[in-house]
Amino acid sequence: MIAKTVCKLCLTCLFALPVSNMAAEADFAGRWMVSLQDQKRTLVGLLELERSEDGWTAFLEGGPAQVEIDGNRIVVIADSRDVRGFVFDRKLVGSLENDAMSGTYQQIGSAAQKEAPGPWHAEREVAVAAADTTPKPVDITGMWTATQELDFRKYTMALTPAGKEWLENYLPYYDQPDVRCTSIGLPAIATYSFPFEIIGSENRLTMIYEYSSKVRRIWLDGRQANKFMPPSRMGHSNGRWEGSTLIIDTTLLDKTVRDFRGELISENARIEERYSLSEDGNTLSAVLTVFDPDNYARPPVRRRRWVRKADTEIFPYTCDPDSFYLTMYEDGEMDMYIERTDQRF
Amino acid sequence: MRQAGYIDRARFAAPLLLAMTFCIFLTRPALSHHSFTAEFTAEKTATLTGTVTQVWFRNPHVRYLFAVTNAEGDEEIWDARGSPVVWLARKGWTKTSIKVGDVVEIYGFLGRDGRKMLSIMTVTLEDGTVFVDRVPE
Repeated sequence: MIAKTVCKLCLTCLFALPVSNMAAEADFAGRWMVSLQDQKRTLVGLLELERSEDGWTAFLEGGPAQVEIDGNRIVVIADSRDVRGFVFDRKLVGSLENDAMSGTYQQIGSAAQKEAPGPWHAEREVAVAAADTTPKPVDITGMWTATQELDFRKYTMALTPAGKEWLENYLPYYDQPDVRCTSIGLPAIATYSFPFEIIGSENRLTMIYEYSSKVRRIWLDGRQANKFMPPSRMGHSNGRWEGSTLIIDTTLLDKTVRDFRGELISENARIEERYSLSEDGNTLSAVLTVFDPDNYARPPVRRRRWVRKADTEIFPYTCDPDSFYLTMYEDGEMDMYIERTDQRF
Repeated sequence: MRQAGYIDRARFAAPLLLAMTFCIFLTRPALSHHSFTAEFTAEKTATLTGTVTQVWFRNPHVRYLFAVTNAEGDEEIWDARGSPVVWLARKGWTKTSIKVGDVVEIYGFLGRDGRKMLSIMTVTLEDGTVFVDRVPE
């Protein structure tokens, strides 16, 4: 009798286990907001988990990540680039319980910005409530100092075949706009660790970036750009308030690269920025999304946070490419550089 | 100590000989293209002592060329790269902080594939003044 019961129990377990695993695995699918804490900062990002016949795929902030799912256990590995330019991975190990994920993460590989191992958790992305769109502008004017909060700084993105082809021929050392003192423009300029200032006028906000001393105007009156205005890397920006969130749409962009990896952003791109202010008015946060289906299979996302500091100043930013060209000349690389003119714009 | 606010004066005072031995192994491939995603490697650091031969205190990046005598007694020119001017200037590191002819000890990340480059973390002057080029926290 006892033996029979044990056997029955074993058989039940044998068949029930895979079934319960499958059910748990299926529950991972969807869009999650991941939050991760090291000792210095909290990072936040959109994690998309999808299952196809080939297994699971993951995207963090629009870029591919490695993923392994087994039962209710999950491992995600996503690359990043630190402020000094070193590429490393973050490995998140955790589990799914009660429709939420949690676990621990650690930095893998060498980076100048060291992160201590810490906890992470994820909850399903909540769609923004459509009802709360009545404009309730808040005062975001002032000087803002960049922090290293929020942004995963995801390194690789999900590129289209055209985007991949461009990247294969890109040499950051030679082709990056900044090395020859021409500004990289949006969206990168809004994600760099330099201060910027917002000035408010009746029909616009003006943003002055310390980095490469660039200026942009965010038109709040819905105006279109002059039909003869040439495209530029700061583009033409229209802003609107949805609740107390400022949403900026930027078009009329000139070709540039997304970041130091050199992924292309085309003239057809649209950039959406969403700015929100903390209740005390001292912290400004932004989510930047690039919509450029020519080059990206999924929209790349970056996040930034700035704080008000009494002593923030915008320093002058002058730039001289002399040492860049001189080094190439001394190394006998000028001919090669000139032959690569098509890689620059 | 000329600049107030800079720290760690004693820590970087010595390891000159160690630095020299690095030089034996580090030679730049002729006319190699800088076709790397990053010019420097986070895995390897070095401390080198030499005399500043050229200063570019300009954006996009501050640069110092300095002459280092290697273990065989030969002079090598190293290329030390710093952050953009505004980051350094904010901390009191200015155009005149490090001049041509100064003997400096530079600690930083090494260039990839043996290139004679350093991504500066600290520069120590003969009088013990230390300039720190730190990434934002």
